[in-house]
Amino acid sequence: MSAALNTLTGKFFDGRSPVAAPATLIWSGSMVKVIGATIAKDYPTSALKVSPRIGNAERFVALPDGAQLQCKHHPLLDRLPQEGKTEGLVAWLEQRWQVALLAVVIVFGGLGAGYFWGLPAAAERIAAEVPIEYERQLGDYAINWLDENEFFKASELNEETRAVIASGFATLIRGLPMQAHYRLEFRDAPGLGPNALALPGGMIIVTDQMVNLSKSPEEVLAVLAHEIGHIERRHALRHILHDSVTATVAATLTSDASSLTLAVSGMPVLLAQMKYSREFETEADDYGFALLQRNGISPEHFATLMERLATQRPERTAGASSFLSTHPVTAQRVARARQAADRLWIDSTPPSAAE
Amino acid sequence: MSAIPQSTGGTASAPRRAAPEARDLVLRFSGSGAEYFRIWIVNICLSLLTLGIFSAWAKVRKKRYFYSHTTLDGTPFQYLGQPIPILKGRIVATIVFGAWYLGTHYFHKLLPIVAILLIALAPWVLVRSAAFNARYSAYRNMTFEFKGTYWSAAKVLYGWGLLALLTLGIGFSWWQQRIKQYMVTRTSYGGVNAEFAATGGQFFRIYALSGLIFGGVMVGLVVVLGIFVGARVRSPEDLESLSSMIIVFTVLVYVVYAIAFAYIQTRIGNLVWNSTQLGPIKFQSSLRAPDLIWLYVTNALAILISAGLLIPWAVVRMHKYRAEHLTLSLDGFLEYFEGNPASNVQAAGAEVGEFFDFDMSI
Repeated sequence: MSAALNTLTGKFFDGRSPVAAPATLIWSGSMVKVIGATIAKDYPTSALKVSPRIGNAERFVALPDGAQLQCKHHPLLDRLPQEGKTEGLVAWLEQRWQVALLAVVIVFGGLGAGYFWGLPAAAERIAAEVPIEYERQLGDYAINWLDENEFFKASELNEETRAVIASGFATLIRGLPMQAHYRLEFRDAPGLGPNALALPGGMIIVTDQMVNLSKSPEEVLAVLAHEIGHIERRHALRHILHDSVTATVAATLTSDASSLTLAVSGMPVLLAQMKYSREFETEADDYGFALLQRNGISPEHFATLMERLATQRPERTAGASSFLSTHPVTAQRVARARQAADRLWIDSTPPSAAE
Repeated sequence: MSAIPQSTGGTASAPRRAAPEARDLVLRFSGSGAEYFRIWIVNICLSLLTLGIFSAWAKVRKKRYFYSHTTLDGTPFQYLGQPIPILKGRIVATIVFGAWYLGTHYFHKLLPIVAILLIALAPWVLVRSAAFNARYSAYRNMTFEFKGTYWSAAKVLYGWGLLALLTLGIGFSWWQQRIKQYMVTRTSYGGVNAEFAATGGQFFRIYALSGLIFGGVMVGLVVVLGIFVGARVRSPEDLESLSSMIIVFTVLVYVVYAIAFAYIQTRIGNLVWNSTQLGPIKFQSSLRAPDLIWLYVTNALAILISAGLLIPWAVVRMHKYRAEHLTLSLDGFLEYFEGNPASNVQAAGAEVGEFFDFDMSI
């Protein structure tokens, strides 16, 4: 073995004083000798601990008496006992561009797969396992908050109108898995305008403005079928799962650039939320169309109501435009409703024969 | 002791015996974006594959990288932190963050409990994290030390914090000054405690000036927006054009916020460092707000355009800038600092795994 491979030079620190002394370490198998201006001592090799390699930095050799030798990276260092067992392997991976490239592929592939497939699938599975009763408190809190802050006032619809819609609603939910958990509520909401909401736990609220905008009970039922879709497909809980996971992952990955988190980690979270929201709306639409068809109501009613809603839009304020931003474009939804109406009507029982 | 030649490795300085003239200790960060990129992506990949568990090991790797590539007077710093306490801290942080998230977003009944827990735990987390980071930061085979107690931290955090509240925010500057003073003066190296000379008045001048300027700019922006809306919006159809204006306005607010943030960061950063002294060592920080704004903006753009791949480059760039703008001058001998058996690196390494070893800093 050549002398150069057995010897390395560095700076010696005794641990008592910050002053460095140049020193040489000579390795001879089971023993090492450290020689310098302030030291000449033998140590058993097995008592040494070498810090892991990191980038191009100097490394630290811990000596058993509390002293330390600092030196540039040297092949001999990798033959001495290491401080950590696994870190050497990580350091080896970090030095290779091929590995870095593979890591980029795995990270982007993994994140992409999680975003498009893994997270939605996992959230759906988990939601199916969690009883909807657990959401009830959340929904009650939301409706109380909306009532107390006067977003909602008592409905001014007459008994007869409400009874017609309520009985249609009861027919719609008959036999559905969540049947026992539904509650239909009417509210006057001048600020919110024509709208319907599905709250966690099974409560569905339809505003007086929505009922007044409709030209027939079937149109209101078309909107309620969409909200039933949100409940049956457990969108509230899946939303919570999506949001918390994307926020955690984004915060973890961008923690290095923490001073910029607002721009850097906020953006992907926002984009993900909007994507998942639009998907839920489409899913609820599809569910609603199929449910209507089973009850002998044409999805065409949904299309006409959406069109009327869209013509009203410019007169309404910020609340409405933010509602629409997380929803698919109206024209698309209308087109899909008409498609469903054409397609489903062919193989469905005619309205007169339903029930 | 003074007979030992004062060799300092990288910069070959001649031995000195008599009272030396003050000399600069150069702080240098020698990391590179390309090198750190590999470390960063490999560690993210391993964290992802282990569902986040490896992230504690990844943090140690990253800390090691930045410590070891930062040299003062030619000698690198050494990071000694171990992954397990960091993992513990992360698990606690995840639970608390999760409870907070659920509390603010969904279960509002949970919020008071989480808030009380956070308030009760904050001084403890502050003290333990500072102690952890000091204990496991070493320079020249001697570790730093942070001595703090729960009550002393609570007094500063909540005693002076309450004062800031009662004075409707005027006391905020004095609160901030007390916190910095607490963190600095309780830190020691080689048996020497750091001293802190900045006053609350100096903090107040910075906060008040930036508050006035940026408050003024914001008021100006709102007035301009108001005039614009008044002139343009005549009928409900015009509201459509309003939404694009709101976007422009939001961007402007964000820009003003970024400028204010960078300005306060530089001024407070400079004040804190320039008022700190560690025995014979004085600090001179010369951060400039325009530089920081440029760095923030270009870094943010680079990260967005590269889908995050330029994060390592941005972080290295920021470290380089900060290292280049901090100068240390030594007026005396390094022998002023004396290690003890507890402060050497080996001792710090041996006690790893103590139950209350805990790190929750980012």
